[in-house]
Amino acid sequence: MSFEIRSDQVDVEEIMRQIRKRIEEKRQGLYSDDEIREIAERRLDAVLDAHEFNSDFIADFRSEAAGWNFQFNPETVYRSSRGGVGALLERTRRLLRPIQKLFWNPSPMIAALSRQSDLNRYYVHLLHNLAVELTRLNLELQDLKNRNLQLQGRLELQERREKTLEDMVVYRTDAEQKGGSGGQGGA
Amino acid sequence: MVQRYGLDIAGGAEYHCRLVAEHMARHAQVEVITTCAADYITWANHYPEGVETLNGIPVRRFRVKRPRDPDRFADWSERVFRAGADTEAQLKWLEEEGPFSPRLVRHVERHRADHDFFVFFSYRYYSTYHGLRAVADKALLVPTAEDDGVYRLPLFPPLFRMPRAIVYNSVEERGMIQRASGNQAVAGEVVGVGSALPAGLDPDGFRARHGIEGPFGLYVGRIDENKGCRQLFDFFGRYRQQTGSPLRLLLIGKAVLPIPRDPAVVHLGFVSDQEKWDALAASDLLFMPSRLESLSMVTLEAWWAGRPVLANGKCEVLRGQCLRSNAGLYYTSYDEFVEALGLLEGDPGLRLTLGRNGRRYFEENYAWDVIEAKYLRLLRAAGAAAAPVAV
Repeated sequence: MSFEIRSDQVDVEEIMRQIRKRIEEKRQGLYSDDEIREIAERRLDAVLDAHEFNSDFIADFRSEAAGWNFQFNPETVYRSSRGGVGALLERTRRLLRPIQKLFWNPSPMIAALSRQSDLNRYYVHLLHNLAVELTRLNLELQDLKNRNLQLQGRLELQERREKTLEDMVVYRTDAEQKGGSGGQGGA
Repeated sequence: MVQRYGLDIAGGAEYHCRLVAEHMARHAQVEVITTCAADYITWANHYPEGVETLNGIPVRRFRVKRPRDPDRFADWSERVFRAGADTEAQLKWLEEEGPFSPRLVRHVERHRADHDFFVFFSYRYYSTYHGLRAVADKALLVPTAEDDGVYRLPLFPPLFRMPRAIVYNSVEERGMIQRASGNQAVAGEVVGVGSALPAGLDPDGFRARHGIEGPFGLYVGRIDENKGCRQLFDFFGRYRQQTGSPLRLLLIGKAVLPIPRDPAVVHLGFVSDQEKWDALAASDLLFMPSRLESLSMVTLEAWWAGRPVLANGKCEVLRGQCLRSNAGLYYTSYDEFVEALGLLEGDPGLRLTLGRNGRRYFEENYAWDVIEAKYLRLLRAAGAAAAPVAV
């Protein structure tokens, strides 16, 4: 580590300050993972706000899947949330299940909705990661562009210096040659 | 009064309650009132109803009338936390959360004259909410609240203003509850809990028994995403890859999350209490990656064993504990994790000093004589309070 800590007298607050300082020094303009994530989310916010999406939309997606995705399993269609009456209703529905299967087959619908629920979760996960990754790439691209410009600037400066030095060398050689012949002539 | 109680129930408010009950039995007659549940997900009845004696403490159990239906509870949680739900809906949510044992509440109400005080553990359950309201003028509350937003539900702030006294786990928890409920008038003290300390430590024996060589960091607890373990696996894997560190990660506890297939990550599963203490003593540091903690007993245990802690700094309680004790570092990002872990791994002197500070912090604040004295002080204050506490 670049900083030393006197082991006999430890101040955690001071160590953490030094750690943060060291990270700042290391980073030198680069973004941390957390910052990239934050920027990605902020950019997405801006895009969605522009299209007048519900302001809770992003927060919902960042929260638990239960907050925005529908929960579906083979029992969902038979369930009720009406307390004691609901329990009775659930039992009746289960009892009548074989009879209702005479009229239609709910299995394909149950399978499709279960699959869809899973897919929704995967898509959101994928989209979120893609947004983060795209932001990371954008930032890296921006950083590379900046470095390219810096290098171009340095190169131009070096070229100018090189040219100046070459001119100086030519000038000095000419002057020395002239000075040398003059001296000889004077002796 | 606690939602579950048993010798086989490890960690959390239930273990906290058992330790307090067993220690306070030296100063008072203690009876535990609880349910027959052992599983905190369903509250299914497991223990027989009635009275049994555990470690010298009479334990009175009441059946749970209806186990929790996780789907229905999730539906109600969604309804209550997303929209501005009315009191009726919140009470329904509380009933769904459980443990739904009206007989326990009725018992508390009917036997209020039999006890001088009722000490309720964990504010967020049906049994605590209704039990405490029934005997508020004799109640002490140990909220064990985490910063998960539940305590802000309109149902709870009035509850925090009701008891005679509140036993907080940390300065941060007290601040959080006081900000949410404005209950500064209720007597309260930051107490926390001690530990069942071992007679001795055998770090070499632990290494020999499990064939562990070289430095390792330890995690103790449920291996769960909610406990920050996924992030810990990610950070630790990247740290090893980036630095080429020989550090290993040892995990003790039940895994509800897949363990990475990495030879540097070793899962020991459940171990005995003594084995846990030996593991702490053998480790180089303890990882505490959870973002939601009201105290973290294992952190205190690591400090007693003289080991430093690397904690999740996003948990206000853990960060505060590290700063107050000068016994642990913390991280709020991967960059900080790398720097802090690198520092701890590379500096044995620092680890030693942090560990020493931890031990001192434990002795000053979490030794049982300190905890018992604080409880007695609060009980005396609660008994002496003449005017009823405003609600």
